[in-house]
Amino acid sequence: MTSLVKSRLIKFFLSLIIVLIAVLIIIFNLRENIIYFYGPTELIKNSDKQGQIMRLGGLVSVDSFQNETDSIFYFSITDGENEIDVKYEGILPNLFAEDKGVVVEGVYMNDGRFIANKVLAKHDENYMPPEVIETLKKSGKWQGE
Amino acid sequence: MSLYIFYISNFLLLLCLTASLIQFGKILNNKIFTRPGIIVLAYVQLISILLSFLILIYLFLISDFNFDLVYFNSHSEKPLIYKFSGVWGNHEGSMLLWILILVLFNFLFALSRRISERFKEITVAVQSIMIFGFVAFLVFLSNPFALNQNNFFDGIGLNPILQDPLLAIHPPVLYIGYVGFSLVFSLAIAGLITKEVDQQWASIVKPWVFSAWAFLTAGIALGSFWAYYELGWGGYWFWDPVENASLMPWIAATALIHCVLILQKRNVMQSWTIILAILTFSLSLVGTFLVRSGILNSVHTFASDPGRGLFILLFIFLILVFSFSLFAYNFEKINKTSSMGLISRGTGIQVNNWLLITILTIVFLGTMYPLATDLLLNKSLTVGPKYYSTTIAPIIILFLFFMFISPRLGWTDTKLYKIIIQMRYLIITSLTITLIISLYFELFNLTETLIIFFSLLLIISSMTASINFNKQNILVKTNLGQNLAHAGFGILMMAVVSNAVYSEERIYNAKVGDNLQLQKYIFSFDKIEQVEESNYNSLKAYFLMKKDGKLIDTFTPEIRFYSNPPTITSEASILHKFFSDIYLVMNVPQDQQSISVRMHIKPFMTILWLGTLMIIIGGIISASIRIGRLNEK
Repeated sequence: MTSLVKSRLIKFFLSLIIVLIAVLIIIFNLRENIIYFYGPTELIKNSDKQGQIMRLGGLVSVDSFQNETDSIFYFSITDGENEIDVKYEGILPNLFAEDKGVVVEGVYMNDGRFIANKVLAKHDENYMPPEVIETLKKSGKWQGE
Repeated sequence: MSLYIFYISNFLLLLCLTASLIQFGKILNNKIFTRPGIIVLAYVQLISILLSFLILIYLFLISDFNFDLVYFNSHSEKPLIYKFSGVWGNHEGSMLLWILILVLFNFLFALSRRISERFKEITVAVQSIMIFGFVAFLVFLSNPFALNQNNFFDGIGLNPILQDPLLAIHPPVLYIGYVGFSLVFSLAIAGLITKEVDQQWASIVKPWVFSAWAFLTAGIALGSFWAYYELGWGGYWFWDPVENASLMPWIAATALIHCVLILQKRNVMQSWTIILAILTFSLSLVGTFLVRSGILNSVHTFASDPGRGLFILLFIFLILVFSFSLFAYNFEKINKTSSMGLISRGTGIQVNNWLLITILTIVFLGTMYPLATDLLLNKSLTVGPKYYSTTIAPIIILFLFFMFISPRLGWTDTKLYKIIIQMRYLIITSLTITLIISLYFELFNLTETLIIFFSLLLIISSMTASINFNKQNILVKTNLGQNLAHAGFGILMMAVVSNAVYSEERIYNAKVGDNLQLQKYIFSFDKIEQVEESNYNSLKAYFLMKKDGKLIDTFTPEIRFYSNPPTITSEASILHKFFSDIYLVMNVPQDQQSISVRMHIKPFMTILWLGTLMIIIGGIISASIRIGRLNEK
């Protein structure tokens, strides 16, 4: 073999191995880090989702907001059909209010409660997360255009 | 009056359309098209677009609400600078800005000398057909000069979080980067057509590709800096789809500039360079238009109809099909076989090219996967930021290693152990510093320690290489741009890792008179007041920061209530110190008596921006060194 062919072969196999390893790591990591989004009705139907980290979205139910201390809050998220009780410890965004759209991230517990560790902040008070719109449309409660 | 302006501006756009068509016709070598010279036509293209852009600025400044664009995106009470930046704070206006830069690059290239006439003709023709496509899109699908029939008294306004001086310059800088690659693309196509992708070609491309890259880097950095102080989350990079969309062309372009250098020095890797040029420009298009189309949801999205998104997708598709067919047809003719040593600088750069492509793939998969599941399975999901950091970090280690070792190797086969022996003091120094850092800060994570170690190697070796004396103790000319950018990248990586490890966050609910603690600092909540500004009202809190009883600084985080359109924003208050930033944001949730305060200590932020600045300056230096030394050895 000439040195040119040899060096090309080495490069080829080296790149093949690197590509294989890289693709495996990427796919493994991607599957590890996916966070699914659910609406309340969807989540209640799929009780096997308990214990996973996920996002939950809908409207904050009217008259559901309570605070235990200055930083522990209780409220429910509804899509008009079903409700899920949420406990959240932390800081609430400026635009958090009852009857407004909200998306929280956390764990759906075995007792059917949702422990949130993040309330996703949005800036516009008329802004509705697209997932929430989708959720409300699915339950037939969407009143926008 | 408005009607006249409507006619004049549309006439100007049609003029540019015609000039671009004639410019393109030159590629046919037909007599009809040879008459007006390239430069005359380039002047026509530039002046017509420049004038219509100036007219649009004028319309925004005088708040002429007869024009839809002004009505939907401006408001008479807005400060002057935001009336001005509002011109490109929307889909149509930003398209016009995009076209202006496209035309400007075309014009500057048409003026450049020492390039064969035929090659220049083809490049300008490719550039002009793109100008034609985009101007047609502007005139027929998103006309910025559309009139409305109503006499609106006032406009709707610009999204308040976009009302920021940095955001006034972020889009133009980013666009210069993106659009700069259009010229590189045109040059690549011209190279394919003339079958002359060689050292000469690389020398022509080099200044353009480096300046586009430097602008893109600056544009991304500006956006990141804006997110850091305006969004109030204390972070500077969120792996948000929109940020990823600008990072992807940057990664491809980083690979490209190195290939152009190898091509210039060694006349190898012709096909790969062309592929990267096409890839970079396609990703730039994706970067601008996927972001604007409404597929990705964010502040960057301007309301738009699906027709526009379809046009852009079609355009990207055509570009890819055309350029890759041309490539498939001609690639054997541009490739010249020549050998490179296995352990050489060229191999090192090639390895890092693969690593960059791997990172690009990671970012691409993470960005596109949620879109694909949403479109195909109607299932919404997010990819957590951890995916990016855990996948990319190990690659960065390898990447830093090759960045350090490659410039020390020669272009021909080099003995690796000789290099390592040569660098022994450097390696020992870096190892010692890393050891001290990890013991002092109790940092025992392998990935992070390795990144710090190789970053140090890279920083020190790049810095020492940029100061080089010959035997007579005279400072010899060195590759300053490269060394500065490489050291900057090392500094950036070190800062990123240290920042991630040592950031601290405290959340308090506070009433006036409370004392809050963050590390060795005490923050006294002094007072809260309401301030009225011309276009918003704000709630301003005053915190006195003390250390050992001594007053150091006053923090004033704010909440702003805008009325046009109604929006609330939190303004962070930040103290920049050399080794760390102290960062305060406040929130007032409804139904609550106290305010919530989030305090961050963000180490090495200043150093992080400094590293980025070094990369940008390095790029500018490399762009301005016109003709490199051909065939070093």
